Amino acid sequence: MSCLAVEGLVKSFGGLRAVDNVSFAIDEGELVGLIGPNGSGKTTLLNVVSGYERPDIGRVLLDGEPIHHRKPERIAQAGLLRMFQLTRVFRRMSTLDNLLTAGRALGLAHSRAVARAEELLGELDLERVRDLDAGRLSGGQQKLLEFGCCFMVPPRIALLDEPFAAVHPTMKEIMAASIRARHAEGQTFFIVSHDMPVIVELCTRTICMNAGVVIADEETRAVLSDPIVIEAYLGGEAA
Amino acid sequence: MNLSQNRLAVEFRLSLVLLAAIALLPLLVTNPYWLGVLIVSMYFALLAASWNLLAGYTGQFSMAPACFAMIGGYATGLLSYHWQVGPWLGIPAAIMTAGAIGLVLGRIVMRLRGPYLALTTLSFAEIMRLVIGNSYEFTRGDLGLNVTGLFEARLAYYYLFLGVLVAAQAGTFLLMRSKAGLYLQAIRDDEVAATSRGVDVVWWKTAAFALSSAASGLAGALYGHFSQLVSPELGLLLQTGLVICMVVIGGMGSLIGPIAGAFLVYLSSEFLRQAGGIQLIVFSLLVILFARFFREGLWGLARRALARRPA
Repeated sequence: MSCLAVEGLVKSFGGLRAVDNVSFAIDEGELVGLIGPNGSGKTTLLNVVSGYERPDIGRVLLDGEPIHHRKPERIAQAGLLRMFQLTRVFRRMSTLDNLLTAGRALGLAHSRAVARAEELLGELDLERVRDLDAGRLSGGQQKLLEFGCCFMVPPRIALLDEPFAAVHPTMKEIMAASIRARHAEGQTFFIVSHDMPVIVELCTRTICMNAGVVIADEETRAVLSDPIVIEAYLGGEAA
Repeated sequence: MNLSQNRLAVEFRLSLVLLAAIALLPLLVTNPYWLGVLIVSMYFALLAASWNLLAGYTGQFSMAPACFAMIGGYATGLLSYHWQVGPWLGIPAAIMTAGAIGLVLGRIVMRLRGPYLALTTLSFAEIMRLVIGNSYEFTRGDLGLNVTGLFEARLAYYYLFLGVLVAAQAGTFLLMRSKAGLYLQAIRDDEVAATSRGVDVVWWKTAAFALSSAASGLAGALYGHFSQLVSPELGLLLQTGLVICMVVIGGMGSLIGPIAGAFLVYLSSEFLRQAGGIQLIVFSLLVILFARFFREGLWGLARRALARRPA
């Protein structure tokens, strides 16, 4: 049984099919990338999977259980945690409290949550900003904080939407190292990114979308050299 | 020690110091009129604290705190007027009535944000006031209801209000120190992020709404027994305006700000009374200034001044 399975998903906005009959499955322990040109439906797909949009047709299964009719907080509690493309942190709460909120909401007791948060602050190099309001952190630190919030309790699967966008290279490396280490321990990831070198380095398998449709889903290098993928990125004439 | 918990503990201790000073005030103030002014200040401090829980900590800008005080006042007032229920049953009934109505209203306005939430609660408050004012047969309309008093001595009311205020502060402190405090502030800062971390936003918002309404209802019931009269004037928008002034000037989203703000604003409104009805003009200007330039209110300014001072 796959960790996350998407079956025949369709989501339209007015006349536009943002996600058009998308199916794929991610097995436990996999680290899968999702690429595609702007407007190809990646974020909509993530929003449907995490419960922020209802699919018109199709199902989303987490560990074999249908979750597409559940509310976002129930999906999070079931172990599917996500980062947003536009970083979302609690701006007037301290970095530590941001992490504690995530931990307590997923059932950790106070002392356990504090211990876990301290570990993550160390791992993500956020100790110096522990007591600072999250709104005062740099863009990259906020991304790292939001990333950390996904791992207060190890999720069944982590959905990362452009985690490296506009992040300082040092912090990008901290996050990539953390992803590698967790992946080595068996953590399942689904990563949306425009950053091809990172995708190549991290993901063994990549899904490419264009105009709402999955146009490639195989080993990363094969996807990136696929003429259909190149055409989608560079336009018809270039291929 | 967690710095934000530390901050909360400092605010709590300071508010206890402030309340201790208020406990000693009757040694200096013996004039019954001024004792009354201080009691009304405490009534407003309770309303300010309950509105702060909703607006300051949870980010839900309700325009109905005075309305729930009126509901609480009328709950115990009507019970005593029609059915001769004593105040010691009437006051708990007032808390429950205001809390239950808050729960229902909370469920309805849950999906509204910002100006829409404010406008809906404002309409609700005005409708409730008109309904009570026009239900002459049942409520005696604008004449108001005579309510039995609790004590003979003003001083007894003084310490009752003070005790309730201390309990409210302690309750808020414990609540904000628990996971509920984290969730409420998370909802204030970003509802979508809160749901994505697994916080049940609808449940906690409704709970905050009901709790805040119940506390306002308690304040209104106590005020009714103190002044021995409840009337629709308790629910005037003007009263809500005063509460907002107090919280914004004192410092929204802090434990001590609303209490200090309530005393400052109400006592200065007493002094400004002699200058003719300019109080609200002054306070409104202050609120605009604070909302624009000092969003953390007087307490925020004081805290920053303390932090800058070399230790």
